[in-house]
Amino acid sequence: MIEALRTKAAKKLAYGALILLIVVDFIIPRHEVHFFGDKIPGFWSLFGFIACVLIIIISKWIGHLGLMQDESYYDE
Amino acid sequence: MMSEIFNIQFLHPSAFYLLGGLFIPLFKGRIKQGYMLFVTLMAFFAVVNMPHGTYGVYEFLNWKLTFGDVDKLSKVFAYIFTIMGVIGVIYSIHVKNDGEHFAAFYYVGGSLGVTFAGDFLTLFLFWEMMAFSSVFLVWFRKSPVSVDSGFRYLLWHVAGGLILLAGIILQYSISGDLSIQHLPFSGWWPTDLQSLASFLIVIGFIVNAAVPPFGAWLPDAYPAATVTGAVFMSAFTTKTAVYALIRVCAGSEILIVLGVVMAIYGVVYAVLENDARRLLAYHIISQVGYMVAGVGLGTPLAINGVVAHAFCHILYKSLLFMGTGSVLHVTGTSKLTELGGLYKTMPRTMIYTVIGGLSISAFPLFSGFVSKSMTVTAFGEAHLTWAFMALMLASAGTFLHTGLKVPYFIWFGKDRGIKAQEPPWNMELAMIIGSLFCVGLGIFYKPLYALLPHSVHFEPYTAYHTWESLQVLLFTQLGFFLLLKKLWCEDTISLDTDWFPRKGAKALMWLTKPLANIEYNFIGEIYEFIIQKPIMGAAKIFKVIDTVVVDGTLNGLGKLTLACSRKMQNVQSGQIQHYAMFIVAGFIALIIIVMVLPQ
Repeated sequence: MIEALRTKAAKKLAYGALILLIVVDFIIPRHEVHFFGDKIPGFWSLFGFIACVLIIIISKWIGHLGLMQDESYYDE
Repeated sequence: MMSEIFNIQFLHPSAFYLLGGLFIPLFKGRIKQGYMLFVTLMAFFAVVNMPHGTYGVYEFLNWKLTFGDVDKLSKVFAYIFTIMGVIGVIYSIHVKNDGEHFAAFYYVGGSLGVTFAGDFLTLFLFWEMMAFSSVFLVWFRKSPVSVDSGFRYLLWHVAGGLILLAGIILQYSISGDLSIQHLPFSGWWPTDLQSLASFLIVIGFIVNAAVPPFGAWLPDAYPAATVTGAVFMSAFTTKTAVYALIRVCAGSEILIVLGVVMAIYGVVYAVLENDARRLLAYHIISQVGYMVAGVGLGTPLAINGVVAHAFCHILYKSLLFMGTGSVLHVTGTSKLTELGGLYKTMPRTMIYTVIGGLSISAFPLFSGFVSKSMTVTAFGEAHLTWAFMALMLASAGTFLHTGLKVPYFIWFGKDRGIKAQEPPWNMELAMIIGSLFCVGLGIFYKPLYALLPHSVHFEPYTAYHTWESLQVLLFTQLGFFLLLKKLWCEDTISLDTDWFPRKGAKALMWLTKPLANIEYNFIGEIYEFIIQKPIMGAAKIFKVIDTVVVDGTLNGLGKLTLACSRKMQNVQSGQIQHYAMFIVAGFIALIIIVMVLPQ
């Protein structure tokens, strides 16, 4: 089963699902509009992707500034 | 009197854990396992049958101690604490070390004691009991790392406890009233005595809630704890603190800022972390951040959200700790750089862990979705857009790490050909129960909503909200797979705010070396002269008597005296573990004395 998920067809299916997510967002009824982003179709898709990229890049950058140390750091 | 605490109306669930825990060493094998499970189930049913009201009030010196203050808020926390007690005991039922069971029982009993405390003194008593019992769950790992980490854990909690006590004493001296009441702290720093009292109490609470910069003890101690101990610890300390914050500090704006910072802080450290259990520990900080922020907002919807979130969080976080704990139990490591490819040998454990991961990420149909979204929506409705956006960002980070990074690097990633199998049946049973709760609460959320303290209508499964969550989560997943190379784990530790006390202590040791010499040579000698010498002397006398008596016919008595003299030497062992044991014993004695004391 796991091997089936690693094929190209599965990958295509996954990308298709992502596109479908954005397309359907154009017709989803909006009852709870809290701020401008809630009115833009696909806003949360973009938000999720950018959030993920920012978290990874900024965290790793901070980590390599000196937060990440060898495991024996406190022993010396 | 005792009869009051043991009447049919109100049976204090702590009493089951505290009294029941005492008898654990008397049983063996299956009977012991059945007994422990029975005690935890009885405590749960005691909560089910509990009517609202005030029970267990005792006069002690000039103070009125209230052990049983029952309302909707305390009851919902008692429900989840006793449910978690049952799950935790099932998961750890194979453990041979009675001390570990005993510590866990007193830890759970302590948190239930805090939950029903009606006055600050009772709260403080159980608060300290939690710290002094849970530290043994770290020490019983018995590795040098966990011994050190346990000491640091204890120091943080003793410091936090003393700050809390200072706040309580100040509050008492101002108002002459010890009963727990709503004392929100406004502004950023104290301006008069009353706000100083609130301030100190808030600090005492947020040390236990692991709010930065006071939260470094959590990712330090939890991964160092035993496999089963960490499961208990992930559930009780921080959530008891959240409960106390709701009771006393709801609506303190400072908590909004601290909570939001916390939610993101945990996510950033989770990127850097290589140890799966420490990564989860950082995600406790992130998740408790939502709760702390919600308490700060303090609207009925926000408080409901915090309570629901705490309830679900205990279940899915313990499930995650059980899953990674099982991997540690079977393979001997929880480092992501040493794991990979376990889906062939531990597929069922993977499924439970992924269920925990989807729940914490608030995937629709899982428990996090019906709880976390309530707090986040409360921020949206309050039009605090910056906090709302920051919490949504942290949600993406949660899925990125707990839902994707942990399962990927343990069960897939690079296959390292590790020999493994599924964990023992009891560990698996506990994970099945946890998984059922996570999925069950995500679908049948109405019974949970009925337990919440405020009556506010909230519908989680609106079309837009469901779609919004799916978009954020699935596009986070896209980001994860595109940046997988960058996320590859590195075998490092991350410096946290405990750098200051840890390095500071070393600097202090160096600076105070001359002082330490005086202490060691002068005070140490006085101490030896006044305390150790007489005890050793007494021991010697016993030994002399012993040999004289042995020369005679009373051989048995002689052995007894020798044993006594050895015991007396042990009292002054100089090991803090022993002192901590005495302190716990003292607490128990104190509680029993208070309960049986004539009024």
